[in-house]
Amino acid sequence: MATTKTATKKPRSKSAAAAKPTLKKKVEFRFETLFEREKAVRELIARTCLTMDAYDFNSYLDLCHEDFQYTITTYSPELRKDIIWLDHDKMGMKTLLDVLPLHASDHFLRLTMSRHLSVYTIDYSANDTRASVVSGLQVFNTAKDGGVTELLSVAKYFDTVALEGGKASLLSREVRLDTRMLGETGSLIPF
Amino acid sequence: MPQSATQWGRTPSLPPTHYVDSRIYTDQTLFEEEQEKIFEKVWSLVCHESEVPNAYDFRRCQHMSGKELLVIRGKDMKIRTFYNQCPHRGNVIAFEPSGNAKRLTCIFHLWSFDTKGNCVEITREKEGFQDRLSKKDVGLREVKTDLSAGGFVWVNVDDDCGPLEEFIDGSLDCFQHEFSTKPLEIISYHKAIVPSNYKLWHDTNRELYHEYLHRHNRMVAVMQPGYFDRLYHIFGNGHMSADPMDTRYDAYEGYGGEQRKLGWPGGGDTIHKFSDLFPTMTFNLRPPALRIDTMVPLGPDKTIIEYRGLGIKGDTPAERAERFCDHNAVWGPFGRNLSEDQIAVVGQMMAIKTGRDNSYILHGREENGAHDDICLRHYYSEWSKRMGRSAADPFNEQAAVAAE
Ligand code: FES
Ligand SMILES: [Fe+2]
Repeated sequence: MATTKTATKKPRSKSAAAAKPTLKKKVEFRFETLFEREKAVRELIARTCLTMDAYDFNSYLDLCHEDFQYTITTYSPELRKDIIWLDHDKMGMKTLLDVLPLHASDHFLRLTMSRHLSVYTIDYSANDTRASVVSGLQVFNTAKDGGVTELLSVAKYFDTVALEGGKASLLSREVRLDTRMLGETGSLIPF
Repeated sequence: MPQSATQWGRTPSLPPTHYVDSRIYTDQTLFEEEQEKIFEKVWSLVCHESEVPNAYDFRRCQHMSGKELLVIRGKDMKIRTFYNQCPHRGNVIAFEPSGNAKRLTCIFHLWSFDTKGNCVEITREKEGFQDRLSKKDVGLREVKTDLSAGGFVWVNVDDDCGPLEEFIDGSLDCFQHEFSTKPLEIISYHKAIVPSNYKLWHDTNRELYHEYLHRHNRMVAVMQPGYFDRLYHIFGNGHMSADPMDTRYDAYEGYGGEQRKLGWPGGGDTIHKFSDLFPTMTFNLRPPALRIDTMVPLGPDKTIIEYRGLGIKGDTPAERAERFCDHNAVWGPFGRNLSEDQIAVVGQMMAIKTGRDNSYILHGREENGAHDDICLRHYYSEWSKRMGRSAADPFNEQAAVAAE
Protein backbone atom coordinates (compact mmCIF):
# COMPACT_ATOMS: atom_id res chain seq x y z
CA MET A 1 0.00 0.00 0.00
CA ALA A 2 2.70 2.39 1.03
CA THR A 3 4.58 1.70 -2.18
CA THR A 4 1.47 2.24 -4.22
CA LYS A 5 0.85 5.57 -2.47
CA THR A 6 4.37 6.76 -3.08
CA ALA A 7 4.06 5.63 -6.66
CA THR A 8 0.84 7.57 -7.13
CA LYS A 9 2.26 10.68 -5.44
CA LYS A 10 4.87 11.38 -8.05
CA PRO A 11 2.52 11.80 -10.95
CA ARG A 12 0.28 13.95 -8.73
CA SER A 13 3.18 16.15 -7.90
CA LYS A 14 3.87 16.43 -11.59
CA SER A 15 0.31 17.39 -12.29
CA ALA A 16 0.51 19.95 -9.46
CA ALA A 17 3.58 21.36 -11.12
CA ALA A 18 1.65 21.48 -14.35
CA ALA A 19 -1.13 23.43 -12.63
CA LYS A 20 1.38 25.77 -11.00
CA PRO A 21 0.51 28.93 -12.91
CA THR A 22 -3.17 28.67 -11.86
CA LEU A 23 -2.28 27.93 -8.25
CA LYS A 24 0.28 30.72 -8.17
CA LYS A 25 -2.27 33.15 -9.49
CA LYS A 26 -4.73 32.06 -6.83
CA VAL A 27 -2.14 32.30 -4.03
CA GLU A 28 -1.04 35.74 -5.17
CA PHE A 29 -4.63 36.92 -5.25
CA ARG A 30 -5.33 35.63 -1.75
CA PHE A 31 -2.07 37.05 -0.46
CA GLU A 32 -2.82 40.48 -1.76
CA THR A 33 -6.28 40.44 -0.20
CA LEU A 34 -4.98 39.10 3.06
CA PHE A 35 -2.17 41.61 3.13
CA GLU A 36 -4.46 44.54 2.54
CA ARG A 37 -7.00 43.22 4.96
CA GLU A 38 -4.41 42.64 7.62
CA LYS A 39 -2.89 46.05 6.99
CA ALA A 40 -6.34 47.60 7.45
CA VAL A 41 -6.88 45.67 10.67
CA ARG A 42 -3.46 46.51 12.10
CA GLU A 43 -3.71 50.16 11.15
CA LEU A 44 -7.17 50.43 12.67
CA ILE A 45 -5.99 49.05 16.01
CA ALA A 46 -2.94 51.32 15.93
CA ARG A 47 -5.03 54.36 15.05
CA THR A 48 -7.35 53.76 18.00
CA CYS A 49 -4.25 54.10 20.19
CA LEU A 50 -2.84 57.11 18.38
CA THR A 51 -6.11 59.04 18.45
CA MET A 52 -6.61 58.34 22.16
CA ASP A 53 -2.98 59.27 22.88
CA ALA A 54 -3.70 62.60 21.19
CA TYR A 55 -6.96 62.99 23.21
CA ASP A 56 -8.59 63.23 19.78
CA PHE A 57 -11.77 61.54 20.93
CA ASN A 58 -13.85 62.36 17.86
CA SER A 59 -11.36 60.70 15.53
CA TYR A 60 -11.33 57.70 17.85
CA LEU A 61 -15.11 57.43 17.64
CA ASP A 62 -14.91 57.69 13.83
CA LEU A 63 -12.90 54.46 13.89
CA CYS A 64 -15.67 52.68 15.79
CA HIS A 65 -18.56 50.78 14.21
CA GLU A 66 -22.13 51.97 14.83
CA ASP A 67 -22.66 48.87 17.01
CA PHE A 68 -19.45 49.45 18.97
CA GLN A 69 -19.20 47.89 22.44
CA TYR A 70 -16.41 48.80 24.83
CA THR A 71 -15.54 47.18 28.14
CA ILE A 72 -12.69 47.31 30.61
CA THR A 73 -12.53 44.08 32.57
CA THR A 74 -10.25 42.41 35.04
CA TYR A 75 -10.13 39.56 37.49
CA SER A 76 -10.22 40.44 41.17
CA PRO A 77 -8.34 37.90 43.30
CA GLU A 78 -9.75 39.69 46.35
CA LEU A 79 -13.34 38.95 45.32
CA ARG A 80 -12.48 35.87 43.26
CA LYS A 81 -14.56 37.07 40.35
CA ASP A 82 -14.40 39.01 37.11
CA ILE A 83 -15.12 42.71 37.36
CA ILE A 84 -16.29 45.09 34.63
CA TRP A 85 -14.97 48.59 35.25
CA LEU A 86 -16.36 50.30 32.18
CA ASP A 87 -19.09 49.15 29.81
CA HIS A 88 -20.38 51.38 27.03
CA ASP A 89 -21.94 51.26 23.60
CA LYS A 90 -20.93 53.86 21.03
CA MET A 91 -23.34 56.48 22.33
CA GLY A 92 -22.24 55.85 25.92
CA MET A 93 -18.63 56.15 24.87
CA LYS A 94 -19.34 59.42 23.07
CA THR A 95 -21.14 60.81 26.13
CA LEU A 96 -18.17 59.85 28.30
CA LEU A 97 -15.51 61.21 25.97
CA ASP A 98 -17.44 64.46 25.42
CA VAL A 99 -17.59 65.15 29.14
CA LEU A 100 -14.00 64.23 30.04
CA PRO A 101 -12.47 67.61 29.08
CA LEU A 102 -14.77 69.22 31.67
CA HIS A 103 -13.08 67.20 34.40
CA ALA A 104 -9.78 67.53 36.23
CA SER A 105 -7.42 64.80 35.10
CA ASP A 106 -3.75 64.27 35.77
CA HIS A 107 -3.54 63.47 32.06
CA PHE A 108 -4.49 67.07 31.34
CA LEU A 109 -2.32 68.47 34.18
CA ARG A 110 0.95 66.68 34.95
CA LEU A 111 1.04 63.71 32.58
CA THR A 112 0.68 62.54 29.03
CA MET A 113 -0.47 59.03 28.25
CA SER A 114 0.95 56.77 25.55
CA ARG A 115 -0.23 53.34 24.54
CA HIS A 116 2.27 50.79 23.24
CA LEU A 117 0.74 47.99 21.28
CA SER A 118 1.80 44.61 19.90
CA VAL A 119 -0.72 42.80 17.73
CA TYR A 120 -0.35 39.14 18.66
CA THR A 121 -2.95 37.23 16.64
CA ILE A 122 -5.55 37.95 13.95
CA ASP A 123 -8.22 35.37 13.16
CA TYR A 124 -10.78 35.88 10.42
CA SER A 125 -14.34 34.65 10.46
CA ALA A 126 -15.40 32.10 7.84
CA ASN A 127 -16.84 34.75 5.55
CA ASP A 128 -13.95 37.15 6.24
CA THR A 129 -16.21 39.97 7.45
CA ARG A 130 -14.88 39.88 10.99
CA ALA A 131 -11.40 39.75 12.45
CA SER A 132 -10.71 38.77 16.03
CA VAL A 133 -7.55 40.47 17.17
CA VAL A 134 -5.59 39.92 20.36
CA SER A 135 -2.96 42.52 21.23
CA GLY A 136 -0.65 43.21 24.12
CA LEU A 137 -0.97 46.70 25.55
CA GLN A 138 1.22 48.76 27.80
CA VAL A 139 0.11 52.21 28.86
CA PHE A 140 2.75 54.68 29.99
CA ASN A 141 2.57 58.00 31.80
CA THR A 142 5.15 60.62 30.92
CA ALA A 143 5.46 63.56 33.27
CA LYS A 144 5.37 66.96 31.62
CA ASP A 145 7.85 68.19 34.23
CA GLY A 146 11.18 66.53 33.47
CA GLY A 147 9.78 63.92 31.10
CA VAL A 148 10.18 60.80 33.23
CA THR A 149 8.11 57.86 31.95
CA GLU A 150 6.43 55.29 34.16
CA LEU A 151 4.38 52.23 33.35
CA LEU A 152 0.72 52.83 34.20
CA SER A 153 -0.82 49.54 33.14
CA VAL A 154 -0.29 46.21 31.40
CA ALA A 155 -3.33 44.84 29.58
CA LYS A 156 -4.58 43.03 26.51
CA TYR A 157 -6.99 44.17 23.85
CA PHE A 158 -9.49 41.58 22.68
CA ASP A 159 -10.93 43.30 19.61
CA THR A 160 -13.45 42.44 16.95
CA VAL A 161 -12.95 44.34 13.74
CA ALA A 162 -15.76 44.61 11.20
CA LEU A 163 -14.59 44.37 7.58
CA GLU A 164 -17.43 45.84 5.58
CA GLY A 165 -17.57 47.90 2.40
CA GLY A 166 -13.80 47.83 2.01
CA LYS A 167 -13.41 49.45 5.41
CA ALA A 168 -12.22 48.22 8.79
CA SER A 169 -13.99 49.53 11.88
CA LEU A 170 -13.79 48.61 15.54
CA LEU A 171 -16.88 46.61 16.46
CA SER A 172 -15.95 45.64 19.99
CA ARG A 173 -13.07 46.05 22.39
CA GLU A 174 -12.46 44.37 25.69
CA VAL A 175 -9.53 45.89 27.55
CA ARG A 176 -8.47 43.12 29.89
CA LEU A 177 -6.31 44.59 32.64
CA ASP A 178 -3.48 42.87 34.43
CA THR A 179 -2.62 46.05 36.32
CA ARG A 180 -5.42 47.08 38.64
CA MET A 181 -3.71 49.81 40.59
CA LEU A 182 -3.47 52.72 38.20
CA GLY A 183 -0.69 55.03 39.34
CA GLU A 184 -0.94 57.80 41.91
CA THR A 185 -4.07 59.38 40.52
CA GLY A 186 -5.80 56.77 38.39
CA SER A 187 -7.14 57.50 34.93
CA LEU A 188 -10.29 59.18 33.73
CA ILE A 189 -9.33 58.31 30.19
CA PRO A 190 -10.19 54.83 28.94
CA PHE A 191 -7.39 52.75 27.48
CA MET B 1 -2.20 91.13 48.82
CA PRO B 2 0.78 88.72 48.67
CA GLN B 3 2.31 87.71 51.99
CA SER B 4 5.88 88.26 53.14
CA ALA B 5 7.83 85.44 54.84
CA THR B 6 6.82 86.81 58.25
CA GLN B 7 3.17 87.07 57.29
CA TRP B 8 3.25 83.58 55.79
CA GLY B 9 4.62 82.10 59.00
CA ARG B 10 2.39 83.87 61.49
CA THR B 11 -0.54 82.07 63.02
CA PRO B 12 -3.89 82.76 61.35
CA SER B 13 -6.17 85.31 62.96
CA LEU B 14 -8.64 82.58 63.83
CA PRO B 15 -9.11 80.53 66.99
CA PRO B 16 -6.61 77.59 67.17
CA THR B 17 -9.53 75.19 66.65
CA HIS B 18 -9.97 76.68 63.16
CA TYR B 19 -6.62 75.77 61.58
CA VAL B 20 -3.96 73.09 61.83
CA ASP B 21 -0.19 73.14 61.49
CA SER B 22 0.68 71.52 58.14
CA ARG B 23 3.37 69.42 59.85
CA ILE B 24 0.67 67.13 61.26
CA TYR B 25 0.53 65.79 57.70
CA THR B 26 4.25 65.52 57.04
CA ASP B 27 6.14 64.82 60.25
CA GLN B 28 7.55 61.31 60.72
CA THR B 29 7.60 61.52 64.54
CA LEU B 30 3.96 62.51 64.66
CA PHE B 31 3.12 59.66 62.28
CA GLU B 32 4.78 57.09 64.53
CA GLU B 33 2.91 58.54 67.48
CA GLU B 34 -0.36 58.24 65.55
CA GLN B 35 0.36 54.54 65.00
CA GLU B 36 0.70 54.00 68.72
CA LYS B 37 -2.00 56.34 70.04
CA ILE B 38 -4.62 56.07 67.32
CA PHE B 39 -4.25 53.17 64.84
CA GLU B 40 -3.52 50.57 67.50
CA LYS B 41 -6.34 51.81 69.74
CA VAL B 42 -9.44 52.42 67.61
CA TRP B 43 -11.81 50.06 65.80
CA SER B 44 -11.18 49.86 62.09
CA LEU B 45 -13.24 48.46 59.26
CA VAL B 46 -11.33 45.81 57.33
CA CYS B 47 -13.85 44.18 54.97
CA HIS B 48 -17.48 43.24 54.40
CA GLU B 49 -18.91 39.89 55.49
CA SER B 50 -19.74 39.06 51.86
CA GLU B 51 -16.01 38.86 51.17
CA VAL B 52 -16.02 35.65 53.22
CA PRO B 53 -19.51 34.30 52.40
CA ASN B 54 -18.88 30.58 53.00
CA ALA B 55 -17.47 28.46 55.79
CA TYR B 56 -13.65 28.35 55.59
CA ASP B 57 -13.45 31.44 53.36
CA PHE B 58 -10.58 33.73 54.27
CA ARG B 59 -9.59 37.24 53.28
CA ARG B 60 -6.12 38.67 53.76
CA CYS B 61 -6.35 42.27 54.98
CA GLN B 62 -4.01 44.91 56.23
CA HIS B 63 -4.76 46.68 59.49
CA MET B 64 -4.34 50.45 59.54
CA SER B 65 -1.32 49.94 61.81
CA GLY B 66 0.21 48.06 58.87
CA LYS B 67 -0.20 44.64 60.52
CA GLU B 68 -1.06 41.71 58.23
CA LEU B 69 -4.45 40.24 59.15
CA LEU B 70 -6.43 37.18 58.17
CA VAL B 71 -10.22 37.34 58.37
CA ILE B 72 -11.71 33.83 58.37
CA ARG B 73 -15.23 32.43 58.53
CA GLY B 74 -15.28 29.25 60.58
CA LYS B 75 -17.35 26.10 60.18
CA ASP B 76 -19.65 27.67 62.81
CA MET B 77 -20.07 30.61 60.34
CA LYS B 78 -18.50 32.99 62.84
CA ILE B 79 -16.02 35.51 61.46
CA ARG B 80 -12.74 35.70 63.34
CA THR B 81 -9.58 37.67 62.72
CA PHE B 82 -5.98 36.70 63.39
CA TYR B 83 -2.58 38.15 62.70
CA ASN B 84 -1.54 36.70 59.37
CA GLN B 85 1.70 35.66 60.99
CA CYS B 86 2.97 32.22 61.85
CA PRO B 87 3.85 31.85 65.56
CA HIS B 88 6.80 29.63 64.58
CA ARG B 89 9.22 31.90 62.74
CA GLY B 90 6.98 34.67 61.56
CA ASN B 91 6.11 33.92 57.96
CA VAL B 92 2.77 35.12 56.64
CA ILE B 93 0.32 32.25 56.59
CA ALA B 94 -1.90 33.31 53.67
CA PHE B 95 -0.24 34.90 50.67
CA GLU B 96 -3.34 35.02 48.43
CA PRO B 97 -5.75 37.96 48.86
CA SER B 98 -8.61 35.51 49.47
CA GLY B 99 -9.39 31.81 49.39
CA ASN B 100 -11.03 28.88 51.12
CA ALA B 101 -9.16 26.50 53.40
CA LYS B 102 -10.19 24.14 56.19
CA ARG B 103 -6.66 24.24 57.47
CA LEU B 104 -4.21 27.07 57.11
CA THR B 105 -0.78 25.60 56.55
CA CYS B 106 2.28 27.81 56.66
CA ILE B 107 4.39 27.16 53.56
CA PHE B 108 7.66 27.54 55.44
CA HIS B 109 7.78 24.53 57.79
CA LEU B 110 4.21 23.26 57.37
CA TRP B 111 2.73 24.09 60.75
CA SER B 112 -1.08 24.05 60.42
CA PHE B 113 -3.90 25.99 62.06
CA ASP B 114 -7.67 25.64 62.10
CA THR B 115 -10.18 28.44 61.50
CA LYS B 116 -10.44 29.06 65.26
CA GLY B 117 -6.73 29.85 65.41
CA ASN B 118 -5.66 26.61 67.10
CA CYS B 119 -2.39 25.09 66.00
CA VAL B 120 -3.29 21.58 64.83
CA GLU B 121 0.05 20.39 63.54
CA ILE B 122 3.68 20.96 64.30
CA THR B 123 5.91 18.99 61.99
CA ARG B 124 7.97 16.43 64.00
CA GLU B 125 6.60 17.98 67.18
CA LYS B 126 7.75 15.27 69.64
CA GLU B 127 11.19 14.93 68.09
CA GLY B 128 11.80 18.66 68.02
CA PHE B 129 10.13 19.96 71.13
CA GLN B 130 9.65 16.83 73.30
CA ASP B 131 7.39 18.13 76.09
CA ARG B 132 8.84 21.63 76.23
CA LEU B 133 6.31 23.22 73.88
CA SER B 134 3.05 21.96 72.49
CA LYS B 135 0.43 22.97 69.93
CA LYS B 136 -1.70 24.67 72.55
CA ASP B 137 1.10 27.16 73.22
CA VAL B 138 1.39 28.34 69.65
CA GLY B 139 -2.08 29.31 68.42
CA LEU B 140 -2.59 32.31 66.16
CA ARG B 141 -2.88 35.79 67.69
CA GLU B 142 -6.60 36.55 67.66
CA VAL B 143 -7.76 40.11 67.09
CA LYS B 144 -11.04 41.44 68.47
CA THR B 145 -13.65 41.30 65.72
CA ASP B 146 -17.21 42.55 65.55
CA LEU B 147 -19.79 43.31 62.89
CA SER B 148 -21.77 46.53 62.52
CA ALA B 149 -25.23 46.81 60.94
CA GLY B 150 -25.05 45.94 57.25
CA GLY B 151 -22.39 43.26 57.78
CA PHE B 152 -19.22 45.37 58.01
CA VAL B 153 -16.31 43.59 59.67
CA TRP B 154 -14.41 45.68 62.20
CA VAL B 155 -11.32 44.79 64.17
CA ASN B 156 -9.39 46.23 67.06
CA VAL B 157 -5.84 45.12 67.89
CA ASP B 158 -6.20 46.51 71.41
CA ASP B 159 -7.52 43.68 73.62
CA ASP B 160 -8.64 46.23 76.19
CA CYS B 161 -10.76 48.28 73.79
CA GLY B 162 -14.41 49.15 74.44
CA PRO B 163 -17.29 47.72 72.38
CA LEU B 164 -17.63 48.57 68.67
CA GLU B 165 -21.09 50.04 69.15
CA GLU B 166 -19.73 52.48 71.69
CA PHE B 167 -17.01 53.50 69.24
CA ILE B 168 -19.44 54.08 66.34
CA ASP B 169 -21.65 56.08 68.71
CA GLY B 170 -24.68 56.25 66.42
CA SER B 171 -22.79 57.82 63.51
CA LEU B 172 -24.14 55.17 61.13
CA ASP B 173 -27.75 55.42 62.33
CA CYS B 174 -28.59 57.50 59.26
CA PHE B 175 -28.17 54.25 57.27
CA GLN B 176 -30.41 52.30 59.63
CA HIS B 177 -32.97 51.35 56.96
CA GLU B 178 -30.52 51.05 54.08
CA PHE B 179 -28.37 48.60 56.06
CA SER B 180 -31.20 46.46 57.39
CA THR B 181 -33.83 46.13 54.66
CA LYS B 182 -31.86 43.68 52.53
CA PRO B 183 -28.41 42.13 52.98
CA LEU B 184 -25.54 43.91 51.29
CA GLU B 185 -22.94 42.39 49.00
CA ILE B 186 -19.58 43.58 47.76
CA ILE B 187 -19.52 44.31 44.04
CA SER B 188 -16.22 46.11 43.54
CA TYR B 189 -12.82 46.39 45.17
CA HIS B 190 -9.75 48.31 44.15
CA LYS B 191 -7.03 50.31 45.80
CA ALA B 192 -4.57 53.08 45.20
CA ILE B 193 -1.28 54.01 46.82
CA VAL B 194 -1.14 57.77 46.94
CA PRO B 195 1.86 59.88 47.96
CA SER B 196 -0.11 61.83 50.51
CA ASN B 197 -1.21 61.81 54.13
CA TYR B 198 -4.24 59.75 55.14
CA LYS B 199 -5.81 62.69 56.96
CA LEU B 200 -5.79 64.78 53.80
CA TRP B 201 -7.83 62.08 52.07
CA HIS B 202 -10.22 61.87 54.97
CA ASP B 203 -10.52 65.69 55.14
CA THR B 204 -11.52 65.63 51.46
CA ASN B 205 -14.17 63.04 52.17
CA ARG B 206 -15.58 65.17 54.97
CA GLU B 207 -15.75 68.70 53.62
CA LEU B 208 -18.29 69.29 50.89
CA TYR B 209 -16.80 72.47 49.43
CA HIS B 210 -14.19 70.43 47.55
CA GLU B 211 -17.16 69.41 45.39
CA TYR B 212 -16.24 72.46 43.32
CA LEU B 213 -13.42 70.21 42.06
CA HIS B 214 -15.88 67.66 40.66
CA ARG B 215 -17.81 68.57 37.54
CA HIS B 216 -20.10 65.68 38.42
CA ASN B 217 -20.90 66.93 41.93
CA ARG B 218 -21.23 70.55 40.87
CA MET B 219 -23.97 69.53 38.49
CA VAL B 220 -25.80 66.83 40.47
CA ALA B 221 -25.57 68.50 43.88
CA VAL B 222 -23.93 71.92 44.39
CA MET B 223 -26.16 73.66 41.87
CA GLN B 224 -29.33 72.01 43.14
CA PRO B 225 -31.82 73.61 45.54
CA GLY B 226 -31.36 72.77 49.19
CA TYR B 227 -27.69 71.82 48.83
CA PHE B 228 -26.31 74.56 51.10
CA ASP B 229 -28.93 73.86 53.78
CA ARG B 230 -27.47 70.45 54.62
CA LEU B 231 -26.26 70.36 58.20
CA TYR B 232 -23.47 68.29 59.70
CA HIS B 233 -24.11 66.10 62.71
CA ILE B 234 -21.27 65.26 65.01
CA PHE B 235 -20.89 62.16 67.17
CA GLY B 236 -18.48 60.95 69.82
CA ASN B 237 -14.97 59.76 68.91
CA GLY B 238 -14.61 62.25 66.05
CA HIS B 239 -17.31 60.86 63.75
CA MET B 240 -19.83 62.82 61.68
CA SER B 241 -22.62 62.53 59.16
CA ALA B 242 -24.48 65.06 57.03
CA ASP B 243 -28.10 65.65 56.16
CA PRO B 244 -29.28 63.59 53.18
CA MET B 245 -29.94 65.24 49.85
CA ASP B 246 -31.78 64.37 46.67
CA THR B 247 -29.29 64.11 43.84
CA ARG B 248 -30.11 65.26 40.30
CA TYR B 249 -28.07 62.86 38.20
CA ASP B 250 -29.94 64.06 35.12
CA ALA B 251 -28.23 67.45 35.46
CA TYR B 252 -24.81 65.99 34.64
CA GLU B 253 -23.90 65.72 30.95
CA GLY B 254 -22.10 62.43 31.54
CA TYR B 255 -25.37 60.60 32.19
CA GLY B 256 -26.99 61.76 28.97
CA GLY B 257 -29.65 63.69 30.90
CA GLU B 258 -31.02 60.64 32.68
CA GLN B 259 -31.99 60.40 36.32
CA ARG B 260 -30.96 57.20 38.10
CA LYS B 261 -33.80 54.81 38.70
CA LEU B 262 -32.78 51.70 40.56
CA GLY B 263 -32.55 53.13 44.08
CA TRP B 264 -31.56 51.34 47.28
CA PRO B 265 -33.88 49.17 49.42
CA GLY B 266 -34.90 51.05 52.55
CA GLY B 267 -33.69 54.35 51.12
CA GLY B 268 -34.73 56.91 48.57
CA ASP B 269 -34.07 56.35 44.88
CA THR B 270 -31.56 59.16 44.61
CA ILE B 271 -30.90 60.22 48.21
CA HIS B 272 -27.23 60.85 48.90
CA LYS B 273 -26.02 60.16 52.44
CA PHE B 274 -22.61 59.92 53.99
CA SER B 275 -20.86 59.37 57.31
CA ASP B 276 -17.17 59.77 58.07
CA LEU B 277 -15.70 57.91 61.00
CA PHE B 278 -12.47 58.83 62.73
CA PRO B 279 -9.76 58.23 61.70
CA THR B 280 -9.98 56.70 58.22
CA MET B 281 -13.43 55.41 57.27
CA THR B 282 -16.08 56.74 54.92
CA PHE B 283 -19.56 55.44 54.12
CA ASN B 284 -20.98 57.13 51.04
CA LEU B 285 -24.35 56.12 49.59
CA ARG B 286 -25.36 57.44 46.20
CA PRO B 287 -28.06 55.06 45.08
CA PRO B 288 -27.85 52.60 43.53
CA ALA B 289 -24.39 51.98 45.02
CA LEU B 290 -22.58 52.35 48.32
CA ARG B 291 -18.90 53.25 48.55
CA ILE B 292 -16.71 52.46 51.53
CA ASP B 293 -13.23 53.95 51.91
CA THR B 294 -10.69 52.61 54.34
CA MET B 295 -6.99 53.39 54.57
CA VAL B 296 -3.69 51.91 55.55
CA PRO B 297 -1.29 54.78 56.22
CA LEU B 298 2.22 53.61 55.30
CA GLY B 299 4.00 56.80 56.29
CA PRO B 300 3.23 60.50 56.61
CA ASP B 301 3.33 60.87 52.83
CA LYS B 302 2.22 57.44 51.64
CA THR B 303 -1.23 55.89 52.04
CA ILE B 304 -3.05 52.86 50.72
CA ILE B 305 -6.68 53.79 50.03
CA GLU B 306 -9.03 50.83 49.66
CA TYR B 307 -12.28 51.39 47.80
CA ARG B 308 -15.19 49.02 48.10
CA GLY B 309 -18.42 49.18 46.15
CA LEU B 310 -21.49 47.48 47.59
CA GLY B 311 -24.80 46.46 46.12
CA ILE B 312 -27.65 44.27 47.29
CA LYS B 313 -27.40 40.53 47.76
CA GLY B 314 -29.92 38.88 45.45
CA ASP B 315 -29.79 41.58 42.78
CA THR B 316 -30.99 40.38 39.39
CA PRO B 317 -28.23 40.40 36.75
CA ALA B 318 -29.79 43.55 35.25
CA GLU B 319 -29.90 45.30 38.64
CA ARG B 320 -26.33 44.30 39.40
CA ALA B 321 -25.17 45.60 36.03
CA GLU B 322 -26.91 48.92 36.67
CA ARG B 323 -25.43 49.26 40.16
CA PHE B 324 -22.02 48.43 38.79
CA CYS B 325 -22.28 50.88 35.93
CA ASP B 326 -23.48 53.76 38.14
CA HIS B 327 -20.89 52.96 40.82
CA ASN B 328 -18.04 52.85 38.34
CA ALA B 329 -19.05 56.04 36.53
CA VAL B 330 -18.10 58.00 39.65
CA TRP B 331 -16.19 55.71 41.96
CA GLY B 332 -14.60 53.01 39.80
CA PRO B 333 -10.92 53.13 38.82
CA PHE B 334 -11.93 54.89 35.60
CA GLY B 335 -14.67 56.89 37.31
CA ARG B 336 -14.83 60.65 37.47
CA ASN B 337 -14.47 61.47 41.17
CA LEU B 338 -11.76 59.37 42.80
CA SER B 339 -9.12 60.39 40.33
CA GLU B 340 -9.95 64.07 40.84
CA ASP B 341 -9.77 63.69 44.61
CA GLN B 342 -6.47 61.85 44.35
CA ILE B 343 -4.95 64.69 42.29
CA ALA B 344 -6.03 67.16 44.98
CA VAL B 345 -4.44 65.32 47.90
CA VAL B 346 -1.29 64.54 45.92
CA GLY B 347 -1.09 68.23 45.02
CA GLN B 348 -1.48 69.26 48.68
CA MET B 349 1.37 66.98 49.69
CA MET B 350 3.59 68.19 46.82
CA ALA B 351 3.28 71.71 48.18
CA ILE B 352 3.34 71.26 51.96
CA LYS B 353 6.08 68.67 52.27
CA THR B 354 8.68 70.91 50.67
CA GLY B 355 10.54 73.70 52.42
CA ARG B 356 11.16 74.34 56.08
CA ASP B 357 8.80 77.27 56.44
CA ASN B 358 5.73 76.18 58.26
CA SER B 359 2.29 76.83 56.90
CA TYR B 360 -1.23 76.45 58.22
CA ILE B 361 -4.21 74.65 56.77
CA LEU B 362 -7.46 76.51 57.38
CA HIS B 363 -10.56 74.86 58.77
CA GLY B 364 -12.27 78.14 59.48
CA ARG B 365 -15.60 78.20 57.62
CA GLU B 366 -18.61 78.89 59.83
CA GLU B 367 -21.77 79.01 57.81
CA ASN B 368 -24.04 76.55 59.54
CA GLY B 369 -24.61 74.56 56.36
CA ALA B 370 -23.02 72.26 53.83
CA HIS B 371 -19.76 74.18 53.64
CA ASP B 372 -19.15 74.59 57.36
CA ASP B 373 -15.78 73.33 58.62
CA ILE B 374 -17.28 71.87 61.79
CA CYS B 375 -16.71 68.46 60.19
CA LEU B 376 -12.93 69.06 60.14
CA ARG B 377 -12.75 70.88 63.44
CA HIS B 378 -14.50 67.96 65.10
CA TYR B 379 -11.99 65.50 63.60
CA TYR B 380 -8.98 67.51 64.78
CA SER B 381 -10.38 67.96 68.23
CA GLU B 382 -10.48 64.15 68.51
CA TRP B 383 -6.99 63.88 67.00
CA SER B 384 -5.64 66.44 69.47
CA LYS B 385 -7.26 64.63 72.40
CA ARG B 386 -5.84 61.25 71.44
CA MET B 387 -2.39 62.59 70.59
CA GLY B 388 -2.16 64.88 73.62
CA ARG B 389 -1.08 67.65 71.24
CA SER B 390 -2.86 70.56 69.66
CA ALA B 391 -3.27 70.09 65.89
CA ALA B 392 -2.73 73.85 65.55
CA ASP B 393 0.46 73.78 67.61
CA PRO B 394 1.68 70.16 67.71
CA PHE B 395 5.17 71.02 68.96
CA ASN B 396 4.01 73.56 71.54
CA GLU B 397 5.90 76.35 69.80
CA GLN B 398 3.17 78.98 70.05
CA ALA B 399 2.83 78.33 73.75
CA ALA B 400 6.60 78.64 74.18
CA VAL B 401 6.67 81.97 72.29
CA ALA B 402 3.77 83.28 74.36
CA ALA B 403 5.63 82.38 77.56
CA GLU B 404 8.77 84.32 76.53
S1 FES C 1 7.39 29.97 59.98
FE1 FES C 1 5.51 28.99 59.71
S2 FES C 1 5.93 26.91 59.97
FE2 FES C 1 7.80 27.90 60.33
FE1 LIG D 1 -14.50 64.11 46.23
